[in-house]
Amino acid sequence: MAEQDLHKNDKAGNGQQEAPLTVVEKIKTESRGLRGSLQESLQDEITGAVREPDHALIKFHGIYEQDDRDLREERAEKKLDKLYSFMARLRIPGGFMKPEQWVAAHHIAGKYSTGVIKITTRQTIQLHGILKSQLKPTLKQFDQVKLDSIAACGDVNRNVACTSNPYESPLHTEVHAFADKISTFLLPKSRAYYEIWLDEVKLHEHNEPDPLYQDRYLPRKFKIGIAIPPNNDVDVLTNDLGLIAIIEDGELKGFNIAVGGGLSTTHGNPDTYARLATVIGFVSGEENILKATYEVLTVQRDFGNRSDRKLARLKYTVDRMGVGGFKKELEQRCGFKLETPKPYQFTQRSDRYGWMQDHDGNWHYTVFVENGRVTDTKDFPLKTALLQIAETGNANFRFTSNQNIIVSDVSVENKEAIQSLLNQFNLDGFTNAASAFRKNAMACVALPTCPLALAEAQRYMPSFITKIEALLNKYDLQQDGIIARMTGCPNGCARPYAAEIGFVGTATGKYNLHIGGDREGTRLNYKFRESLDEDGLLQELDALFSIYKNNKAADEHFGDFVLREPGLIPIINSQTI
Amino acid sequence: MLAEPKLKSLSELVSDLSQEELIWVNKYLTGLVSSASKEELVKQAVVQQRITIAFGTETGNAQRLATHFATKAKQAGLLVKLVGLDQYRLADLPKEKYFFTVISTQGEGEPPIGAKKFYDFILASAPGLTQLQFAVLALGDTAYPLFCKTGEEVDEQFEKLGGSRLLPLQKCDLDYEATAEKWMVNVLSYLENSTKATNPTIASAVAPAASAKPASRQVYEGTILSKINLNASGSSKRTYHFEIAAEDVNYVTGDSIAITPRNPQEMVTRILSAAKADPEKLVTWKKETYSFEDLLVNKLNISFLSDKSVSQYENIYGNTIPERKISLLALLQKYPVNESQLESIIAHLNPVAPRIYNIASSPLVYPGEVHITVLEEHYLENGEDQEGICTQFLKEKEENDTVSFFIQTNKRFRLPAEDKDVIMIGRGTGIAPFRSFMAERDATGAEGRNWLLFGEEDFTTDFLYQTEWQQYFNTGVLTKVSLAFTNNEEEPFLIQHKLKQQAEEFYAWVQAGAVVYLCGEKDPMGKEVEDTILNIFKEQGNFSDEEAAQYFEQVKKEGRFIKDLY
Repeated sequence: MAEQDLHKNDKAGNGQQEAPLTVVEKIKTESRGLRGSLQESLQDEITGAVREPDHALIKFHGIYEQDDRDLREERAEKKLDKLYSFMARLRIPGGFMKPEQWVAAHHIAGKYSTGVIKITTRQTIQLHGILKSQLKPTLKQFDQVKLDSIAACGDVNRNVACTSNPYESPLHTEVHAFADKISTFLLPKSRAYYEIWLDEVKLHEHNEPDPLYQDRYLPRKFKIGIAIPPNNDVDVLTNDLGLIAIIEDGELKGFNIAVGGGLSTTHGNPDTYARLATVIGFVSGEENILKATYEVLTVQRDFGNRSDRKLARLKYTVDRMGVGGFKKELEQRCGFKLETPKPYQFTQRSDRYGWMQDHDGNWHYTVFVENGRVTDTKDFPLKTALLQIAETGNANFRFTSNQNIIVSDVSVENKEAIQSLLNQFNLDGFTNAASAFRKNAMACVALPTCPLALAEAQRYMPSFITKIEALLNKYDLQQDGIIARMTGCPNGCARPYAAEIGFVGTATGKYNLHIGGDREGTRLNYKFRESLDEDGLLQELDALFSIYKNNKAADEHFGDFVLREPGLIPIINSQTI
Repeated sequence: MLAEPKLKSLSELVSDLSQEELIWVNKYLTGLVSSASKEELVKQAVVQQRITIAFGTETGNAQRLATHFATKAKQAGLLVKLVGLDQYRLADLPKEKYFFTVISTQGEGEPPIGAKKFYDFILASAPGLTQLQFAVLALGDTAYPLFCKTGEEVDEQFEKLGGSRLLPLQKCDLDYEATAEKWMVNVLSYLENSTKATNPTIASAVAPAASAKPASRQVYEGTILSKINLNASGSSKRTYHFEIAAEDVNYVTGDSIAITPRNPQEMVTRILSAAKADPEKLVTWKKETYSFEDLLVNKLNISFLSDKSVSQYENIYGNTIPERKISLLALLQKYPVNESQLESIIAHLNPVAPRIYNIASSPLVYPGEVHITVLEEHYLENGEDQEGICTQFLKEKEENDTVSFFIQTNKRFRLPAEDKDVIMIGRGTGIAPFRSFMAERDATGAEGRNWLLFGEEDFTTDFLYQTEWQQYFNTGVLTKVSLAFTNNEEEPFLIQHKLKQQAEEFYAWVQAGAVVYLCGEKDPMGKEVEDTILNIFKEQGNFSDEEAAQYFEQVKKEGRFIKDLY
């Protein structure tokens, strides 16, 4: 520890820590192990919100406070406070759920939230619209099926994502197990979650040494993803820490380690940028893998920027230290050298829809879930269908980073029964009928609940896609699996900068148009046009699809083509984003 | 000591005296010994009578007056039995000689709950009351058309049953003190002279109460500045907040306003066409002439007929009508009558009553304005959803429309001294006067603590004036807030349940001198809250049932439990 303190002093010498700490830093250190005044906040009857400092702390418990922005004006006129509610995001390492857990989630969502189960872009589920008074019952009921929301948000390691489909490799189970191991290894030590939400009594007396997070936690959120090549469904390089499984001769040899990925930017702040993680080495053996992972967090803990949250992610730390400097610091802390990275190749990011049979003979059906919203509509009773499938007890549920569900681990003898449920509720038909473009598309939550949203995303994307599909049909490109993603702000939740086409909201009805990312997720795209409305976007896409159709090489993807085609990029500037 | 003949006479005199008479003689002799003049004592002796003073009360006013009357009567040397009508042994009534009733009238002309048994008894089973000499002091509110209705009925019924009226019925409005005092003086002076008088009644003693509204009741023509539905979309309720401007409007925080609604034109048109009646036809009602249409729109209660009105309809229709609490239109549709029948039916209809709304603003904060909180009321009539008449009248009003109203003073419902603590308990629109209280206490910087207990259906949609309460809470004016929303809990969770959870603190506040206000629906909330408070006293004070009741009684006597229920 003495050594780490020394480094802190070095940094002070660099002037890095001279700027005052952010308010959130103070809240964290004074939080008595993430307890803050949450207990009191829950008892404040007059408001549906939590107290100001708890706003930041409650995230560490996997919960965001939000309000329905559509209703703000009307409610103010009615002398009613904002309609506050909470989003609870579960910690589901690798996105795996037992059928009884899905059944519980189904009923909890119906009872306490909007009813929609939202599959996130990082393989977990979240429920929106939970009132403050319903938070405890919600978390208690999840606890009964061994699910929690600890550290699903906040300045800690969040849900660990991992390639979803067991079809990908005979070693999927072994790799996937790392998601859970890493998640558990990096949990905060505080019992606050159990005390506040589950009535484990002791409150406040705070004596839980946490060598990893201390009382400062990390400077910013921290995301870890594990990919099993050749599928990069988890968008591994967009994580702070990416682990790329290296499988040779039917054995898991270890992981390439990639650091410094992250997509969030801020409009008008040139110091912010999206970055893909840099592969810095290879590590093998469970102990070393966990150690390296752990120390990446401690370097970020000690070197990360705590004065400006917009510049606090690991990507900025890595660039400030230099990749070499970062690696050196990491190796010093690990006590071993990283090996030279092993070769790997990604060939796709899309999910494998429909049935796939894995190496053990079990079957997995990937259902297309538009924007990850599991709900019943008149034509498509998805939520009911999944409940009935779960109630058979003969299928597990896996969530993909593309916000879909895999009805998984179905034995040969149960496949027919599951298939008949898929048919009965038209899941099969719906999945098959959606265009490749729609199935590859993603959008973030945005309005009305996300406080950061500048423009619509998930509410708007489906109808916008319908209009884009018309253009694709015009050029006979409907089966071209172009990856398009939309967010309502520049923070990048749906990873728009790592898409072939990205729409990044700037204002109501206005989006920046990004193009030129690759299909496999190893290259960021470029900002091509600024603040276009729908007509403007469709005109630009019409023109681009037309050139693409006429000039592309065989098997050339859209993202690669627009980069190669002379005169398209850079149009505005040559900078990424 | 006495000579034999004198002693003999005295012995003869007292030998067949009753116990009572003996007591009187004892007093008489004591009086003779005292320095009082002989003449006065004789007079007193003649006046000495046993009287009963019975009260029927809802808010405590009738009880207060009756108690005061009893004190005065005792001072005048009368033997007084003071009894609440809820406790009164009905079998005693035929034996009473002098019987004075102080009784209030509730809402639409009903007796107080506690007096219901007595009221039903004299109206239905009708014992002979030939001995009874009576007088009635009726409390009421001229804002209601059936002003002092219960008092009137008791007075009439006593006469019908053979009683002799000593004094004409005295009706009192909300400012009852002076009128009541005068009545008491008259009663006592009558009793003083009663043995000499051959005719037991003195018709001229008290002027009959004017049925017209007092001259002081000023009608204001207000302009609606703002009308807001306070419930968010998704609520099962609509509660309107009205801000009404009226120049020079004069009221005190705690007062109410009265608004007389007009009946919807559409409903009147349907009534007239159902009876094929000419809207312009001139008809007489209470000795005044109106056009059919004018009368129906502006004067009559046609939406929720009294049992009496329905019985009259029944008589004219000529057949039994099982329905009660029904509208005139619904009656006409089911039991059609012609124009002339309708005319006779209308003669028996009651006038439309003004609706009373607690003022939700403080004149200190909004001079020249009154704010009110109006729930859109619905009720089922023969399975059909019907809207309350005044609701409908107000709901159709828009900003800049005018509405006439008068101030209904509410002397009981006042804030205490600035250093006193206040506990405000209300459900739904019962929160209205508390909004005025807080505005006033905020404006005056009153240092007493303030605690709001409020109940409604849904926290997210029905927390009336939420942001204002938050403001008061954040600035420290509002000390404590306790809420009960039925929708958010598995079991129905009402304000009385919330109160029970807060028992210890509630009792501590009351012990420290807090004034408790209760506003909102009488039934069942008002009753249940009151029961809960009694239980809290019992448990927190370690009292027996009786002690708890006494404690509560004491709190009420000190004017520290004040309710306005409807």
